[in-house]
Amino acid sequence: MAKQSPAERLFTLTCCLLASPVIGLSKQDLFDAVPAYRESSGGDALEKMFDRDKKALRNVGVQLEVRNNDAFEEGESARYLISRGAFVWPAEFELNPKQLGLVELAARSWNTQIFGSAARSSLTRLKSRGMVEIDRQLQHISPRLVAKHESFGPLADAISASTTVVFEYRKSDGIQSVREVEPLKLRLIEGEWVLLAREREAVKNFLLRRIVSKVRDTEALFSPPSEAVITRAEQDLVAYAASNVAVIEIVPDSEAWWHFGSEREQVELNYMDEALMAEDFMEFGADLKVISPKSLADRIRAGFEAVIASHA
Amino acid sequence: MPKQELDGVELFNLSLSIVGTVLRDGDQRVSDLAELFDVSEAAIEKAVMAVANSEDVKNCETHFYVDVEELAEGYVSLSQGMSSLSEPPSLSRRQLSSIAIGLDYLAAIPQFKADADLQALRALISESSPASATSHIPSRLTEQIETLQEAMRKELAIKCEYINQTGAKSSRTIDPLRIDFIGRRHYLRGFCRTSGELRAFRLDRIQSLTITGNSIPEKTKGLPIPEEVFGEVTEEQIVEVTASAEAAEIFWNFPVAGNTKRTGDQLHGSIRVGNLAALGRHVAKYGGMVKVIAPESARSAVRDFAQRALAGASAPGDED
Repeated sequence: MAKQSPAERLFTLTCCLLASPVIGLSKQDLFDAVPAYRESSGGDALEKMFDRDKKALRNVGVQLEVRNNDAFEEGESARYLISRGAFVWPAEFELNPKQLGLVELAARSWNTQIFGSAARSSLTRLKSRGMVEIDRQLQHISPRLVAKHESFGPLADAISASTTVVFEYRKSDGIQSVREVEPLKLRLIEGEWVLLAREREAVKNFLLRRIVSKVRDTEALFSPPSEAVITRAEQDLVAYAASNVAVIEIVPDSEAWWHFGSEREQVELNYMDEALMAEDFMEFGADLKVISPKSLADRIRAGFEAVIASHA
Repeated sequence: MPKQELDGVELFNLSLSIVGTVLRDGDQRVSDLAELFDVSEAAIEKAVMAVANSEDVKNCETHFYVDVEELAEGYVSLSQGMSSLSEPPSLSRRQLSSIAIGLDYLAAIPQFKADADLQALRALISESSPASATSHIPSRLTEQIETLQEAMRKELAIKCEYINQTGAKSSRTIDPLRIDFIGRRHYLRGFCRTSGELRAFRLDRIQSLTITGNSIPEKTKGLPIPEEVFGEVTEEQIVEVTASAEAAEIFWNFPVAGNTKRTGDQLHGSIRVGNLAALGRHVAKYGGMVKVIAPESARSAVRDFAQRALAGASAPGDED
């Protein structure tokens, strides 16, 4: 038999695991059964290939279970199997052409960036649920997500693996500290990537732009909280943003006037972070003036003064 | 358009999906599967061969029987051997997240804000997040998008007033090709008949938008649209800057010249700037977290923008 390609190897591994007895298969069983493993030179290279394959399977949704005799380490006695229930889709999971078009748009918004491959593979999988023709009415729209923060990849990996991470975080007041958190979810809010994470039992929001060090994965596993806990934390942020109101005065017919689509000179806006709101306003220079809160107006003034000082 | 090459994991994912489709719906044409999954026919054949070549060599068990002759004729016909794989697995957390974030992003676009299909989809995919309270979508923008969509559907050019990066207003006739939504900004990508070039126009700088009776020429429809949206370059200059980690996006908002170096939490590099008047706002907004090192003319443009802002005087024109 010709040497197996990576796709053939992963497919064979999946089929072998699905056919495993209730107690699962040992690593040696798999090394004997999958042609690509059997034909490899063994040793470290084979172990690394197996580790990569386990990760690849999990990344595409194949729920590989590892049953260990040793509670702390995946040793030679570990047994591997795939939970049959992992292949069951919700009964009501059906998409109409418009929804499939929306999923395609959502997947394409990642373009070639991190998550792009996951999004594309999800789309392929969803299409296999039924030969539905995609609604092409959406083809003139091209949303694009931009995720260039160095921390994005390690955080996405840690969320998938449910492992805690450590990083240095600098708040808008300049105070910097080392944070060890359980990463739960990445969100894009008003153009800003936000990490929802649990730190000492409290669910908090971290702006990715304020993560000023590399993200280190501790590989310590944690149990994610329920979806209800995450939703509550998200709603708390919405409520917090709704309680922050900036009142600005805009110069008529200026760029800010058109940008904010004003019909009046005074506009009220909500914000989740005062420093970010200040940045948004500062971009328009003298086209607008902050009426309230005073702290925001002061922050903008101090910001411009800092710019003048550093470019004197 | 040539389809993207698939890596091993993507091909494996495609194999799982083909097995699910064929076992449920019966034999399929290779061309139909290629269209469904938006990949090349060669990719379909490779993925099917991955299924054909799957066997347990220890127990001498063939997982699937694939009719290779039929495949050579352009058909996918397979049946289960010893494999109990009958449908692809449900999505992984990472896959779900990628789609859920994309759907959340769509929900922030004005034309999808109240879309019932999108709402149902977000509920189905789960992990849907509550809408942000900070979204500010002017009704003018929503109307503009609707007009542009109508023009693109009817394949007609539009006329508008546009304020360019120097603050000058001009009348433009544009063949609209696509609306990009990047970060928080909308751009019209289209062929500007006035300048004779493919351009990106920020929607918040377009005024008096109307649809003309002129059709978009066939050759324009096929124009490749570049990925990046950078402003109109008139007199490009290389500007050396340093930025703290929080303001790293300065290097994403401009084309970068050479490599960017990171020392501790500081980034150092050079950006290509089309118009120095545009630079002031981009640097000043970070309140000192970005510093222009050279040339002096760029430093002075930034200083001037900040001084005018503090004094309450309107800054001179800026970027696209």
